[in-house]
Amino acid sequence: MAKQFKSLHPTKFYRDYLNQDIRPDGRLVSKFRPVIINIGSIATADGSALVRIGKTTVICGIKAELCPPKPEKPNEGFLICNVELPPLCSSKFRPGPPSDLAQITTRFVADLILNSGCINLKDLCIVKEKLVWCLYADIICLDHDGCIIDACLLVLLTALKTVRLPVVQYDAAIDKKTIDASVKKCLNIYNTPVSTTYAMFEDKIITDPTTEEEEISSGLLTVVVKDKELCSIHKPGGSPLSEEKLYECINETVNHADLLITLINTAVSECNDDNKNC
Amino acid sequence: MEVESNVNLSMREVNCKLGMFTRPDGSVFISQGETAVIVGIYGPIEVKPHKILINKASVETHYCPKSGMPGIADKLCESILHNVCEAALASALYPRSSIVIIIQEMQNCGGIIPCAINACCLALLNAGTDMKFLFASASCGLDDEGNFHLDPDDLFLETAAASFIFVFDSIGKGLIASHTSGSFNLAQYQSALELCKKAAEGIFDFYKSTIKKDLKDKI
Amino acid sequence: MPTDNKRIAGPEDSISYRLFKETSNESVLSKINNLKNNIRSDGRKTNEQRKIFLKCGVVSQAKGSAYFEVDNTKLIVSVYDPREIPKKTDYSLKGELFCIFKYAPFSCPNRRGHQQDAEEKQHSAIMKRALESAVCRHEFPNFQVDVYVLVLENDGSALSGAITAAGIALAQAGIPMYDTITSATLAIQGSTKLLDPTLEEEALCTIATHKSDTETGYDSHGIIVLAILSTHEQISEFYQLGNLNLDTLNESISILMNATKEIVPLVEKCLVDYVNKTFKANGQS
Repeated sequence: MAKQFKSLHPTKFYRDYLNQDIRPDGRLVSKFRPVIINIGSIATADGSALVRIGKTTVICGIKAELCPPKPEKPNEGFLICNVELPPLCSSKFRPGPPSDLAQITTRFVADLILNSGCINLKDLCIVKEKLVWCLYADIICLDHDGCIIDACLLVLLTALKTVRLPVVQYDAAIDKKTIDASVKKCLNIYNTPVSTTYAMFEDKIITDPTTEEEEISSGLLTVVVKDKELCSIHKPGGSPLSEEKLYECINETVNHADLLITLINTAVSECNDDNKNC
Repeated sequence: MEVESNVNLSMREVNCKLGMFTRPDGSVFISQGETAVIVGIYGPIEVKPHKILINKASVETHYCPKSGMPGIADKLCESILHNVCEAALASALYPRSSIVIIIQEMQNCGGIIPCAINACCLALLNAGTDMKFLFASASCGLDDEGNFHLDPDDLFLETAAASFIFVFDSIGKGLIASHTSGSFNLAQYQSALELCKKAAEGIFDFYKSTIKKDLKDKI
Repeated sequence: MPTDNKRIAGPEDSISYRLFKETSNESVLSKINNLKNNIRSDGRKTNEQRKIFLKCGVVSQAKGSAYFEVDNTKLIVSVYDPREIPKKTDYSLKGELFCIFKYAPFSCPNRRGHQQDAEEKQHSAIMKRALESAVCRHEFPNFQVDVYVLVLENDGSALSGAITAAGIALAQAGIPMYDTITSATLAIQGSTKLLDPTLEEEALCTIATHKSDTETGYDSHGIIVLAILSTHEQISEFYQLGNLNLDTLNESISILMNATKEIVPLVEKCLVDYVNKTFKANGQS
């Protein structure tokens, strides 16, 4: 019976649940879904990670390539990150060029990485004006069940922390590059921005919404924090929100961020231990 | 358009021209300092079958950059404009129809998003489309020494530590949209919000005087 | 080249650092000779498959989905509800399958593009041919079923893995089928036939070599992918790359038939496990 009611009156269905302060999946209104992080699962990539937030699954593989730098920035490398929402992950997406949501997410994640300064592009320089690293970070969503920005940011940061780059010797006179793959270097990550998303439904704020909840909601809010500082407060329209509610969300994010950062660090340190044993 | 006497806390000069095109149902040219946009509204008009919504109008937003095809930065801008307009429009009054909003960037010297949002609101007023509330947007930048600059231009933004864009509604002065870049702390965010809220009130007054003048000219 | 303004484009002239790696002294020829002497680098016998891991129901949003893993080859398949064939004017009595086979950009030693290239398009077409004969297409006229494959990591035999996994995903989605479909790959170099080749073996087996130093003719070499409906031993797809003589062909098919039959119990177990799990979950709620 519940199933039919849900498809006929989705808003009423959710309102009835939320009036009892519980959600259809059994979570409380302000409860986050469990997060699982898996690292180094792709051997062909130079750094990789897989993140699950509830059912939302994203994978990120980073490939390092060599290229000459831009003339205007001779000592800076490149970090090119793209978010793909293939038709595989949800029936909402069709084959063909990236959907609007994929483009917006790509831009938002790329802006965040730039703004937060979590990575210094100068670290990617090998020889000034001649040779720099270009990191291609491709984030692919495998299962789309809400909070895609949170998942993308989490997976990208984790993957960046697992990147190992070989040592390059460059002879500028004869343009000869020699790779020593036996020694591999980590990348310096200066801070870890993490985000959480909230959905507004009537006068309630739903934490960590699923796709269904995102669809019936009247607006979304994403808060990004790094080391107790705010990195972005992104509310792309939707119904108006009072300031008290906004600050409540920010506080909640700051508290949750510690947990996420601990999770990333635990996953990454396990990988580092493994490397030492090898 | 002086909000406060302090030089840093004043907005760039805002000029606008309503209803300059005859074809669209509503149109506006708005310039904020050197930044300028044109917005045209068509609607409610017939809707394409695959976009039809039975309980409300479908709102389409098209953001056209000054030259070339829209890239992913323009898409992000478009999504904010779309979500703001969709929230403000009383679209339930026009079921099975569509409202098309076309935003043409004329010149971008910083603050294109707030300028385009304000233009959308004026154009919707000009078109006479029913809205739940009006909306106004203001932006401010934060320099390295922690000083706020209202309505920053592109020269300032290049060196700014952070920049903020806010959209407020006219009734409860609630926050409709917030978009930031750079990093900042909570106190800075709060003061930026307060500052922009004051500036937004100035913009609501500007809407009032513009519409008043427009109606007077028509009579 | 048209610029892609829906993604962030990287610098145009970037190249993989793997090209400059100091290669080991062992030459390609000696590797081929090793293969010809039935020595595989991972110590497997020539007719031995790698261990397969199968799981279905991995994508919550999809109607049916499967994950397939053999060693380092990892791929994921999802199947969606039948939908009307877009942009179709006439009525087709039989439904269609719409397959997209894609390598993730980071799945191969060299970076792949975001758009489907010729090889991926060909693999999509092969999958469509292989799967269409396993599905009761007359049950959903004028509709198409979408089958999406994403290879997360490629270490050989990705196409046959994709066909097997797609069979499971279709079954889980409740699409009517005649039989379970399984598939295997065989790589051939000279008289050696390697079942379930790795990426390196696949590469070595597509190189033409002379029969011996004195003769000028080329030895048989190539890759065969075979998909089979096991109950009636019906071959639904036979795809061959390279240059083979007829005697090798017959022998190859029998090796592949045996290999595909070995996979069938795994597929069945995977589906039965899924059904048991679903029943248990429903029983509890």
